Amino acid sequence: MKSLTIKNLSKTYFDPYAGSHVTAVHDVSLEVKAGEFVSIVGPSGCGKTTILNMVAGFLPASGGEILVEGRPVKGPGPDRGVVFQSFALFPWKTVLENVAFGPRMRGLPKAECDRIAQEFVSLAGLSHAAQRYPAELSGGMQQRVGVARALANNPDVLLMDEPFASVDAQTRMTLQEELTRIWMERKTTVIFITHDVEEAVFLADRVVALSKGRVLKEIPVPVARPRAWDRLMDDPAFKSLSRDVLNLVRSA
Amino acid sequence: MTFFLRTWGFYVRATARWPALAALIPFIPVIALWAIVAESGMFPRAFFPGPMDVVKAFGTLTYKGILPDYLEDSIVRLAIGAAAGMAIGIPLGVLVGLSSKAHKALWPILLFFQAVGDIAWLPLLLIWFGFGLGTMTFVIVYTVLFPVVLNTVLGVRSVPAVLTRAAQSLGASAPRVLWEVVLPGALPNILTGLRNGLGYGWRALIAAEMIVGTSGIGFLMFDARRAGSVVEILLGMVILGLLWYVVDGWILAPLEKKTVQRWGMVQRTE
Repeated sequence: MKSLTIKNLSKTYFDPYAGSHVTAVHDVSLEVKAGEFVSIVGPSGCGKTTILNMVAGFLPASGGEILVEGRPVKGPGPDRGVVFQSFALFPWKTVLENVAFGPRMRGLPKAECDRIAQEFVSLAGLSHAAQRYPAELSGGMQQRVGVARALANNPDVLLMDEPFASVDAQTRMTLQEELTRIWMERKTTVIFITHDVEEAVFLADRVVALSKGRVLKEIPVPVARPRAWDRLMDDPAFKSLSRDVLNLVRSA
Repeated sequence: MTFFLRTWGFYVRATARWPALAALIPFIPVIALWAIVAESGMFPRAFFPGPMDVVKAFGTLTYKGILPDYLEDSIVRLAIGAAAGMAIGIPLGVLVGLSSKAHKALWPILLFFQAVGDIAWLPLLLIWFGFGLGTMTFVIVYTVLFPVVLNTVLGVRSVPAVLTRAAQSLGASAPRVLWEVVLPGALPNILTGLRNGLGYGWRALIAAEMIVGTSGIGFLMFDARRAGSVVEILLGMVILGLLWYVVDGWILAPLEKKTVQRWGMVQRTE
């Protein structure tokens, strides 16, 4: 678990159809403390996924800096684990093999890889499905594997790109609760991208509202943990905070 | 009505139990029609032999040892050609699929030579290599190569970028990404290329054997024409068809079942 610093980050594309430059991310700065859970929330096209892709190293930044514990980011690397909206599991590997992938790539001995994979598969509650292939799992189970696979590699920072957007509403609530539980156990530094305001508030220590490539406001979430939907659903503090963030995002 | 339903039900249960039946039963009416026309005496027997004559010819030629020898020659040629075609085709396809420079440089050339076609090379090959193994090997490798290359390129390019990204962010180096993600991701297309390549290669081999061969099933059939033996020509045709069932049923289908179907990457409709 390490800190993450984003300094004056920007991304400009050339749009060949419009024949002009488009600014997707405009001078974004963000400081994420070690072990902190930060949600970035905003509507489609606000640049949140672009930010995450730059932090992950999938896209080069047009300007600014990204530092993990002071070290500048150059391309993708195992210090930043990524959980994808489309799960991105390897179809030709079993659940266990998917989770063991990171440790294997880091060159750990086979027995050690197996032990780690077993541990994280069981953390995700999937021990019974360890030998199955992703295509044999439901969406919710697949994303549990996605989270376990990223965590098993022991990343400094966990980057989550709308990870629960494509699972059904009930499963999503369960996954959100499980994520807060796992996060409290392991205290990983997390950046969580979402367009769902309630999800952002439910999970995070701090919510960053984004619009048109700029940071609108950072809102701390002083809601006690552990968090569970059956309590927070009717909690006045949670509801008013969610409403504030929603109004902020919608007004921009 | 109930009779048809019962027969249908019996067919469904029987083929579920013995899948090989599903491939055999549809041939019963075809063979029956063939036998009826042959037996009716509509055509002279020497021009239009019946199924039993072909079976007898199979027995005779097997007994003489000609058929097993020729069959072995053809299969060995196809196997060598297919192996060489894959050994060149898969790496070439991966290169063209991954590198946009290689794609720009090689793709138009590949399309050109694919269009030229195997048999079109024969006149030139006969001048260069003469009537022999060199010519035949060239034709098969050439035929197998293009479907394998073109489909491998397609497969490599259709691997979702997000899988490559996932592997990279888990610490995989470029060679590991190639081995762990790109190749298995391209496997459904590589298998399709192999299936097409073997199918085309088999036909090209028969054609080449007819023209340049001194042995093989194609030679058997063309030699039979010289001797006016229609029954041996028909036997050759039956063997060609049957052999495809063997290649598909014993090699390709099990390979697909164990890999891409098991992984849910393709569904084979039964």
